[in-house]
Amino acid sequence: MRHALHRWTRMAAGLAAGAATVPPALAVLALAALRPRAGRAAAVRLATGERHRVERLLGGVPPAAGPVPPRAALRYLAARLPLGLLGALVLVSALVGAAYASLLVWGWPFYYDRWHLVMPSGVGGSFLLFLAACAAYAVAAFEAALVRRFLGPTRRQALERRIEELAESRAGVVAAVHEERRRIERDLHDGVQQRLVALGMLLGRARRHGGTGPGGDDLIHQAQQQTRQALAELRDVAWRVYPALLDEAGLRAALEAVAERSPLPVGLDYRVPAEPPRDVAAVAYFVVSEAITNAVKHSGARRVDVRLDLPDDAPALTVRVRDDGRGGADPAGGGLTGLARRAAALDGRLGVRSPPGGPTVISAELPCA
Amino acid sequence: MRVILADDSTLLREGLIRLLADEGHEVTAAVGDGDALLAAVGQDPPDVAVIDVRMPPTHTDEGLRAALEIRRRRPGTPVLVLSQYVEGRYAAELLSGEPSGVGYLLKDRVVDVEEFLHALERVAAGGTAFDPEVVRRLLARSSHGDPLARLTPREHEVLHLMAQGHTNAAIAGRLWVSRSAVEKHINAIFDKLGLPRTGGYSRRVLAVLRYLGS
Repeated sequence: MRHALHRWTRMAAGLAAGAATVPPALAVLALAALRPRAGRAAAVRLATGERHRVERLLGGVPPAAGPVPPRAALRYLAARLPLGLLGALVLVSALVGAAYASLLVWGWPFYYDRWHLVMPSGVGGSFLLFLAACAAYAVAAFEAALVRRFLGPTRRQALERRIEELAESRAGVVAAVHEERRRIERDLHDGVQQRLVALGMLLGRARRHGGTGPGGDDLIHQAQQQTRQALAELRDVAWRVYPALLDEAGLRAALEAVAERSPLPVGLDYRVPAEPPRDVAAVAYFVVSEAITNAVKHSGARRVDVRLDLPDDAPALTVRVRDDGRGGADPAGGGLTGLARRAAALDGRLGVRSPPGGPTVISAELPCA
Repeated sequence: MRVILADDSTLLREGLIRLLADEGHEVTAAVGDGDALLAAVGQDPPDVAVIDVRMPPTHTDEGLRAALEIRRRRPGTPVLVLSQYVEGRYAAELLSGEPSGVGYLLKDRVVDVEEFLHALERVAAGGTAFDPEVVRRLLARSSHGDPLARLTPREHEVLHLMAQGHTNAAIAGRLWVSRSAVEKHINAIFDKLGLPRTGGYSRRVLAVLRYLGS
């Protein structure tokens, strides 16, 4: 109910503003007839403003593909004059209808003796209000159609833009995968492999010692320790490659595990009623774990707070990771770039706010449609 | 011997220091990157430098660059390069200069303590040591209308060991044949590969490797 009321208010404001721009539009058109250059500049400004009004208050317009060309601006202003007046008419009708309809509520005590005369006015007013509401929808749709028709983006422009976006995010995904593989190779090479070589050396030395006696025994004991550490490291690397828990027990469990493994205290506020789609869950997981890793490594933070939200009627899962460290995180850094690319691949967005002195907030919006 | 180690993994450096100490060698410096290595070698030239190919900052081939630079500044300084992966290119680059006192082993080879120490001693003494795996790859990918195909299996084995840097005596020992038999095989190989007969054994390794890796 509140939502609907809000939408109606926005629409009414949009129509009112549209009606209010009729006189300036007339003035601009007249100016353009007399002094073309000044007129054109004014037309571009006014048309751009109109475009924002329709985008914000009425909707139905995709984002602009570029600046408004002057001739298109003039044509648009001329074309929407009648529409502005129509919008005004619809609003006035709505007010008149509402006034008469309200008789049904407060008219009783005043007109109780002439009720048979007043009643039809109230009913007629209600119907006029209903008609005006329908007309408001129609006018809003017309407004959006005019903007699309004259100011773009045309369907074709919108498609081209979408293709550009897709090409960019596809390249980004490829780059992110490449980067991740490099990181995995480095993880294996710098950690597990070195440890195994060291372990082999220990065993080799033990054999040269003859494997018995105090020296050899000590070496074998060290080798055993190395084996344990190599196993722990291998487990860590495997986990960083893909947290199996994500598939087995879902996003919440995987995030709880990340929080438990973190050397910093991590508060997890999880408000997602149903398990999100798997690719969304995976990206959300990596955003959180990368942000926590960064906080541990670079920020000097004392604690990290993680919050995930997916209200019932929201189209996107929002992830927010805040640390109380020293800030100054670089969005262009390797890990964060990879996350931004992953989010873009889902048509989502990654935001990094990290002023010097902190706090750092890393947020992601991941559409779940 | 006096040895300098260069590897960015402290774990491995520690292990190697212990291993060499067990054998009575002395590690005069253990460093983690190319610049520090060059400085250490400049300050106190070792009998041999053991160098990991991958080191900071880029973790690609700094170690190899540093090894080549050492050889450029002080020709004849023995270097033994350790690498995580077999790279024919690295072997070829190491051999492109003075072909004595160079070695190129897979890192895993240090697990065979015995083998590793032998290789180290060979390199320090001015010989060569090439990883069997490196040699195997080079032999496998050699594509010279392939005179190699004309070698007998026995000659292949001899070439393989020769390429690793083993002396005739060592080859004879490994194959359970007499030294004169080995010499006969080697001459046959040189003939089949069209290589000039020369003396020093590292030069023949070089000849073989150059031929294979060209």
